[in-house]
Amino acid sequence: MTFLEKQTDPTAPLHWRGNMQADYLYPNGVAGDKFFKHIMQNDSFLATKCDECGKVLFPPRLYCEDCFIEIPEENWMEVPAEGTVRLFTVAKLNAHGKKLPEPKIMAMIDIDKTDGALLGVIKSNDSERDFTGARVRANLRPKDAREGTLKDIVNWNLI
Amino acid sequence: MENRKEEKPTYPKYAPGTHVRTSDIRDKKITYTWWEPEIQYAWSLGNAMSKFLQGLKEGKILGVHCHKCNRLIVPPRSFCEYCYGPTEDWVELKDTGTINTYSVSYLDPNANRIEEPILIGVISIDEAYPKPMGFMHYFGEMSKDEIHIGMKVKAVWKPEDEREGSINDIKYFKPLGGGE
Amino acid sequence: MIKKDVAVIGAGMTLFRRRLKETGKELSFLASKMAMEDAGIQKKDLDMVVMGTAPDAFDGIHMKGENLLDGAAGAGKPYVRVFNGGGTGVFAPIAGWWHVASGVADVCLVVAEEKMGSCYPHPQTAFRHIWDPILDRPLNPNLVWLFAMEMNRYMTVHNIKKEDIARVAVKNKRNAVGHPCAQLADPNITVDDVLNSEMMAWPVQRLDISPPSDGAAALIFVSEDVARQYTDNPIWIDGVGWNIDSTMWTNRDLYFPRYVAKAARMAYKMAGISNPRKDIDFAEPYDPFDYKELHHMEGLLLCDKGEAPILTREGVTQRDGDLPICPSGGLLGVGNPIAATMGQKVCELYWQLAGKAGKRQIPGDPRIGVGQAWGDIMQMATVMVMRR
Ligand SMILES: [Zn+2]
Ligand SMILES: [Zn+2]
Repeated sequence: MTFLEKQTDPTAPLHWRGNMQADYLYPNGVAGDKFFKHIMQNDSFLATKCDECGKVLFPPRLYCEDCFIEIPEENWMEVPAEGTVRLFTVAKLNAHGKKLPEPKIMAMIDIDKTDGALLGVIKSNDSERDFTGARVRANLRPKDAREGTLKDIVNWNLI
Repeated sequence: MENRKEEKPTYPKYAPGTHVRTSDIRDKKITYTWWEPEIQYAWSLGNAMSKFLQGLKEGKILGVHCHKCNRLIVPPRSFCEYCYGPTEDWVELKDTGTINTYSVSYLDPNANRIEEPILIGVISIDEAYPKPMGFMHYFGEMSKDEIHIGMKVKAVWKPEDEREGSINDIKYFKPLGGGE
Repeated sequence: MIKKDVAVIGAGMTLFRRRLKETGKELSFLASKMAMEDAGIQKKDLDMVVMGTAPDAFDGIHMKGENLLDGAAGAGKPYVRVFNGGGTGVFAPIAGWWHVASGVADVCLVVAEEKMGSCYPHPQTAFRHIWDPILDRPLNPNLVWLFAMEMNRYMTVHNIKKEDIARVAVKNKRNAVGHPCAQLADPNITVDDVLNSEMMAWPVQRLDISPPSDGAAALIFVSEDVARQYTDNPIWIDGVGWNIDSTMWTNRDLYFPRYVAKAARMAYKMAGISNPRKDIDFAEPYDPFDYKELHHMEGLLLCDKGEAPILTREGVTQRDGDLPICPSGGLLGVGNPIAATMGQKVCELYWQLAGKAGKRQIPGDPRIGVGQAWGDIMQMATVMVMRR
């Protein structure tokens, strides 16, 4: 059989179908657990400050990846669940290429009083406008429905 | 007072990390994020595997030669992985072989415990070479006490109308028996 | 061309457990921080970083090398992830060695991480995807079957008794008692415990197998030019070797891992070792199953084919024997977070040769040790020789 040999029998099998099925349980981590447990009880966020470079890390981390030092307990701080849109895009198709019933406004939001940002969905009927620089506030699930994941942030309201 | 030699510390000096028990998850002592990925594949068979599976559908085990390395290869492929030359001269092989190794499994594919064990192993196909040359499959019509390395076996095929061009077109390998 | 000799000057390792609260990044940070503190190195001193981590399907993050980057001091550095299944635990340090031996880096951090607990309900689920999708997976194989078949072949060819294999599990779980990170240390385990443990897939029983784990490990490699700036006690990497055999495992006789022998010969040649049995003082062969330690001792040419069980029975491989094997406690005793077993297979060589192994210390100041890992479909071997 040479590499150039062609398959000429149209009835011969061509493919084998299957999947790579597996489920995942990701612990949110030491810093992540603290962050999400705070959101379950409060309408604000937590961040961590690195003493060496002075950056306020958001989402909060156990360590500063630039200075590579551990963040001490006392450097955890509360920050408002508000921010400013840095970048945005308007999605009209879903992940499978199907048209969405309504355009979805995805934004990267600089979180107030931090050097970090979060990805979120902006709630607005006007998908044609420029959202750059818009002020937004997190719209959290009702407290008793919060489960300690990113889904606790339903979307972001324009202030 | 005598100076006792101080015992040297054991490295690593500490063991950072936080153990999480299954009960910690059940009792929601830690937060976590759950994900069920959805992804489907259609793996191309390529010429050699397509031909092999077509052969199985027709009730034949096909092999192919690498004359340079003096191999009669099964499962067949379009190139020999040792000399990296193309393979040639397809042949139909007898569906008999020898058990090269096996296991008696009390685990099903999902690691669930089962009472009646699965007999699984590698069959070295008689006419292929050099030995061992063959593939993995199930064994049947034999007990866990009878099965042994070196046992002569023969393929038991699915009925023709149930074959679909799959390794499962062979149901299992059974003892060849003395008379055949 | 090897331009620089490479020294190890620090090592770190996290706790190994079935599931840890830390993310993979956080585990990488904890192990890296320990190694860097041990070596007296800060992030700014690092020229390059190597990450070793095995299938993405365990952590459940595709391209997890990139995900782990921040925790491995890799942000803004020349960084690369290497990966060859179970062989990664020794392959990552081999890649770290390239970086320094080539003269490209003076200081290189090597991190190895695995988070198998993410894969639910059991990492077995991910192992199902390593088989050939067309020839093997339609038979619905369980990974344990593969090892059971290899173990059976090895036992049958050499007429080895199960109790001689069980001695390996007993030795390693007892050795692990001195390891602060150990997941399955047991000072009282006996051969009978192993032989009476649950039958999984004959001849493999529950206590023949190492557990799946979360964990991370780290090492600091430096060139000969700067080693003395950091330590008076560098440990040298004398040889590295790796080799991989055909994926068509049903076309190979599994009784002897010839690819391990090829990798070992490559490493020994580089290290100037002509008689491994005489020259090597101790070894950390890969022991995800008890028979694998024996199989790999033979592959590493530390004894004849079929002789490893006899040496084990005679006590030669105990920590105070003539040829201590897996003094760390191995994968059987300390745990098996695939790539992060670098902690037992290479960090342990460093701790033993530097005289830092404390409760696990091999008597008699060992001078040369060999570590080895193994992976993929019984086909990959990675070997490293280290010297005091
Ligand atoms: Zn910083
Ligand atoms: Zn050939």
